[in-house]
Amino acid sequence: MPSNNDSRPQFHLMPLVYDELRRIAARYVSRERPGQTLQATALVNEAYVRLASERPREFQNRTHFLAIAALSMRQILVQRARARGAAKRGGAPQRVTLDDASAGSTPPASIDVAALDEALTRLAELDPEQARIVELRYFGGLTVEETAEVEGISPATVKRQWAMARAWLKRALE
Amino acid sequence: MSSGDWTRLKALFQGALDQPAHARERWLRDAAAGNVELLQEAQALIDAHETAGTFLDEPPAIEVDDLLGLTAGSQIGAYRVIEEIGRGGMGVVYLAEDQRLGRRVALKSLPPPLARDPTFRERLRREARAAATISHPAVAVVYSLEEIDGHLLIASEYVRGHTLRAELARGPIDDRRAVAIATDIAKALAAAHAAGVVHRDLKPENVLITDEGAVKVVDFGIAHVEGLEATRLTRDGGLVGTPAYMSPEQLAGRTVDARSDIYSAGVVLAEMVGGGHPLSSPAAQLPTSLAPIVQRCLQHSPTGRFASATELLRALEDVARPGGARRSGARWWWEFHQAMAALTYWLMMIPVWNARGAIGGAAGRAVFVATLAAVIVAANLRLHLWFTSRFYPGELKWLRARVARWIHAADWLFALSLVTGGLLVGDEGSAVTILLLAFGIGAAVAFLVIEPATTRAAFRSSSK
Repeated sequence: MPSNNDSRPQFHLMPLVYDELRRIAARYVSRERPGQTLQATALVNEAYVRLASERPREFQNRTHFLAIAALSMRQILVQRARARGAAKRGGAPQRVTLDDASAGSTPPASIDVAALDEALTRLAELDPEQARIVELRYFGGLTVEETAEVEGISPATVKRQWAMARAWLKRALE
Repeated sequence: MSSGDWTRLKALFQGALDQPAHARERWLRDAAAGNVELLQEAQALIDAHETAGTFLDEPPAIEVDDLLGLTAGSQIGAYRVIEEIGRGGMGVVYLAEDQRLGRRVALKSLPPPLARDPTFRERLRREARAAATISHPAVAVVYSLEEIDGHLLIASEYVRGHTLRAELARGPIDDRRAVAIATDIAKALAAAHAAGVVHRDLKPENVLITDEGAVKVVDFGIAHVEGLEATRLTRDGGLVGTPAYMSPEQLAGRTVDARSDIYSAGVVLAEMVGGGHPLSSPAAQLPTSLAPIVQRCLQHSPTGRFASATELLRALEDVARPGGARRSGARWWWEFHQAMAALTYWLMMIPVWNARGAIGGAAGRAVFVATLAAVIVAANLRLHLWFTSRFYPGELKWLRARVARWIHAADWLFALSLVTGGLLVGDEGSAVTILLLAFGIGAAVAFLVIEPATTRAAFRSSSK
């Protein structure tokens, strides 16, 4: 589980973000068939639009919102991966996900999110900034510029750090 | 890797990236200045970078279902989730506050991968209905079944405490406490069975011990409700239940009834007092007063087990009162009758020995042998009953059912042998003749009239 980094001032808003993500998902439940997948980043954006209009004071800053959403999304995806693993061990029925079918022309190699989470935790010990950049970009879908704004560094640095973190994680997951 | 190494690795990696791809390898070799380990690491990272393709570029896909899990601080309907307190393959349990009533509740929902599966949703609904029909202090109270924002939730009594599993993990449980816990489990099962519900997944994880020491049986998740169309649903889900605690008939996928829960309760009891699962640790490790109860629960055939949780409860209560403080006068009288009958039967072998001589020949020997055979069976089985009643009361009813026919047959043989012997001796005035005839008729009266009366009195309550 990623550490609940209280140094981030907006951390107390996490349950709000999480609930909004959940409500959006609940609306999908009523109109989509089981196994439907969404792009995490699209979901995050939808949540932002809603929360920013409902609670403009807390969520005036989009990048800050995205930073919280990235952490929420990481937790959700890791929990899901672990629950899947547990369900498999428990003999629950297998279901086919539609990831491949819905991803378009080139289906991405599926990533073991639980393993990624562990590797990311190890990376955070070596280089906290790189780990945060991965969290923001991958789980939160932030652009290089948005990530730079959240972290208070230049976009060029974000790119270099991202490149190394990505290479390091790729090795860690092989 | 030390932070100094990391910093140098970073410098190497990023320096190499600034070079055109074909020049990177040479640049790295120069820059590493003979540090082979660092060079290898940097080269491996560069290789990974160059072959990374779209790694991590595609945002992760998320299943709608995966967002349905609750988390601390979530608000769902009138409930505010405080924390997750339990998770298994079939359910996630949260501690939550019902803000309408200002009380704490346990919210049970399906784990995200199953949350939208209609079969599992129906199972959760059935669990709520099954548990809601049971009203007993040892069964957690179901408050309501809620469907909010696509979530299906059972709100039930929040039990502050720990699971029996946690208690087992801390070390052995002393026998008295184990019997007390097993007694409460038996009461909960009796209440459930009376409501027509078979738990089907009784195990230490599903037995909660409150901070006050009370027992609450939870998780009627795969409960079978008599009269409901229930079996098909759980059968479709494959083998449901926890194999180590499942009765043979449940493992075999056959119809199960209340006696299947008795089996599981036996496994739990054995684990509490024997320190391990009964099938992996020998029964010899069980305390002598409880071994017969456990063995009886674990009979392969349901007919060999206690017929109901109430019977199991009685057996446990008998163990809990050593020396038979609650033992009725009638029971004492029945035991006395058994012991005296056994003694009298054996004493009668003396006059029968004399009669053998008086009758003589093959007839005399036949009478003697027939009487001896009858005495061996009838007297010894009675002594066995007496002994069991004194020391293993939980076993008694089962034993009585098994030996009654033999005792009855031996009694008849005994009475007939005595009367035959008396008649064959023939001499009407002889003491042996009178003795044999009197005791033959007396024995018949005793086992036909007196013994059934003392037995009825002693076992009136439990022979229903």
